[in-house]
Amino acid sequence: MATPSLTFPRSVFAKLSPHPYLLRTLTTSPDDTTTTTPTRTNGRAPSEPRPLKIHTSSLSHAHGSALVRAGDTTVICGVRAEILPVTSIPQYRPVTDYDALAEDEEEKERRDRAELKDYDLLVPNIELATGCAPQFLPGVPPSTLAQTVSTRVYSLLHGSGVVGVEGLRVWDTSRVGATAEGVDEEEEEKPRLVAYWTLYIDLLFVSYDGNPFDAAWTAVVAALRDTKLPEVRWDPDREAAVCGSRTERAKALGVRGLPVACSAVVFLEKERGEPGEGRHWLLLDPDRLEEGLCGEAITVVVDCEGGETRVRAMEKVGGVVVGRELVRGFVGVAEKRWKEVKAAMNMDGQAHGALGAFVEEAGSSR
Amino acid sequence: MADRRRINGPPGATAPPIYEDDSNQESSGFKATRTRQPNTIRRMYLKTGVTPSASGSAYLEVEMPGKSGASGLKLSCTVHGPRSLPRSSPFSPHIILSSHVKFAPFATKQRRGYLRDPTERDLGTHLEAALRGAIIADRWPKSGVDIIISVIEGDQDRGTAKNQADDSWEDMNVLSGCITVASAALADAGIDCVDTVAGGVAALVRDGSDNGKTKIVIDPIPSEHDKIEAACCVAYLPSRDEITNLWFKGDLPSKEAGLYQELVEQGILASKQANRVLVECLGETVG
Repeated sequence: MATPSLTFPRSVFAKLSPHPYLLRTLTTSPDDTTTTTPTRTNGRAPSEPRPLKIHTSSLSHAHGSALVRAGDTTVICGVRAEILPVTSIPQYRPVTDYDALAEDEEEKERRDRAELKDYDLLVPNIELATGCAPQFLPGVPPSTLAQTVSTRVYSLLHGSGVVGVEGLRVWDTSRVGATAEGVDEEEEEKPRLVAYWTLYIDLLFVSYDGNPFDAAWTAVVAALRDTKLPEVRWDPDREAAVCGSRTERAKALGVRGLPVACSAVVFLEKERGEPGEGRHWLLLDPDRLEEGLCGEAITVVVDCEGGETRVRAMEKVGGVVVGRELVRGFVGVAEKRWKEVKAAMNMDGQAHGALGAFVEEAGSSR
Repeated sequence: MADRRRINGPPGATAPPIYEDDSNQESSGFKATRTRQPNTIRRMYLKTGVTPSASGSAYLEVEMPGKSGASGLKLSCTVHGPRSLPRSSPFSPHIILSSHVKFAPFATKQRRGYLRDPTERDLGTHLEAALRGAIIADRWPKSGVDIIISVIEGDQDRGTAKNQADDSWEDMNVLSGCITVASAALADAGIDCVDTVAGGVAALVRDGSDNGKTKIVIDPIPSEHDKIEAACCVAYLPSRDEITNLWFKGDLPSKEAGLYQELVEQGILASKQANRVLVECLGETVG
């Protein structure tokens, strides 16, 4: 008696036994001939990232915003600036010798970064519990992944120095030039530092399909580049900062450099057993399936602004396959990614208010 | 005690920026007025399948008229399920709905926190009531479905400070959008419903230009009117001629009993118009 042959569509195999399925697609090409170009389950080559689309200034309540879409991972970032008066900073130490500092470039940079970090002026938070994937449902405290990504973005913001503290200072110039009645005449003449802008950087995942850090970081950088702080004036009578409401006088927040994050995971031939034996593949920009199958991950943050490649951060966890040589090679991959992200940022130029057209475009590519 | 699982920022309180010209904007002659007919809703954009990993998803955007660039309500909805209930939960002969509505921190004029506030819980309850009437619940015993809505941008105008104290009128518009987008997402998830349910808002407004007379408009934008006396949000199933949820707020003179009915009628009219968009959108997906 002949048993009816049992065939399943690809998606069923991917669910039932994901590891052999991915291994199979990597080792054989679709037309079953000997492989020359390994292909992943999603049809990409191992070192092929998903195309990136960036759209800025789509939110009206935020001072800067960006929507980033890489394949099926979509993230929205909104930057919101609020005023932090120096009187409500408990550990505030006024800096009096700005002019003296201006001479020593390195010391100034160090002090500026410390100022940004001590007063905690950048507040990034990632919200994953939006139902963006079946495992992220709301009503629970932030998951480990959300906390990890938030912290990584936080430390990279401070570590890479994309935002300078100069743009965030609010000065009181109302008494400049006025005839001082007090004793300290010289001090009254100078502008006084009265407050800082605090940037609340909130990220919301609309759709999640792996590689949250790259998408989140790209969204943060794009939103910061888009951020315009309103013109601000200190009102001594109200003891508050008052902003001009004219948008054309708003000042863009100076963003230094363009650090780009580039992540990959290592896929091993053997599902269990000693790491390092058998073949392995480096999969760039992993999706949800690949992330679940791979233990070892590497992230490199590079900045090629100004022609010269600088590694801003590097992170490698969970395995022993990636050695010194591979990392060096991976920096080259990251450089390529940097060019793509840069192109995507420049592409976005025609900002129009509605997200609709963007979503539509993204939807039709599915 | 601050939540240690998030990054909380500086310990001192930060204040949202105060804008200089807020108070004298009206006197300078600029004031938004309603240019649409009183019986038409704003144009909206609806799209299903925005989140591929969810069972069903939809995205809704409502146009903000009069201003280029600024746009109104933006909602993203995902539906997960039907899925089996955990073993510990008691037997249920029908599907259990759980709905979450959450504003993004950058959705409104004031920055929202990450914990759900009472308004969001209230919206969630209303939404659940509206959808429960549309879903054929006894087809899925012992199962549950999650409906999650993220309000990416609320229905507020940034420029005007008027009506700042009561943003409760905007909540009605948000709810009506939530109902429409959730209905589209449920259809995308393939959950059986008796009909597509859509939300509609009607309001009794008093404008200074009409010598203080009241009139009824649908899909109101609070900043366009001097005062909103009462408003109601209706969730309506057109093929059954059935209202699944009704939320009425405000005060009506008791001597005009017909006014209340008329308000609900207009709400239904708004809902029917939204439903047309909904059906068209679903038709595109299927076809």
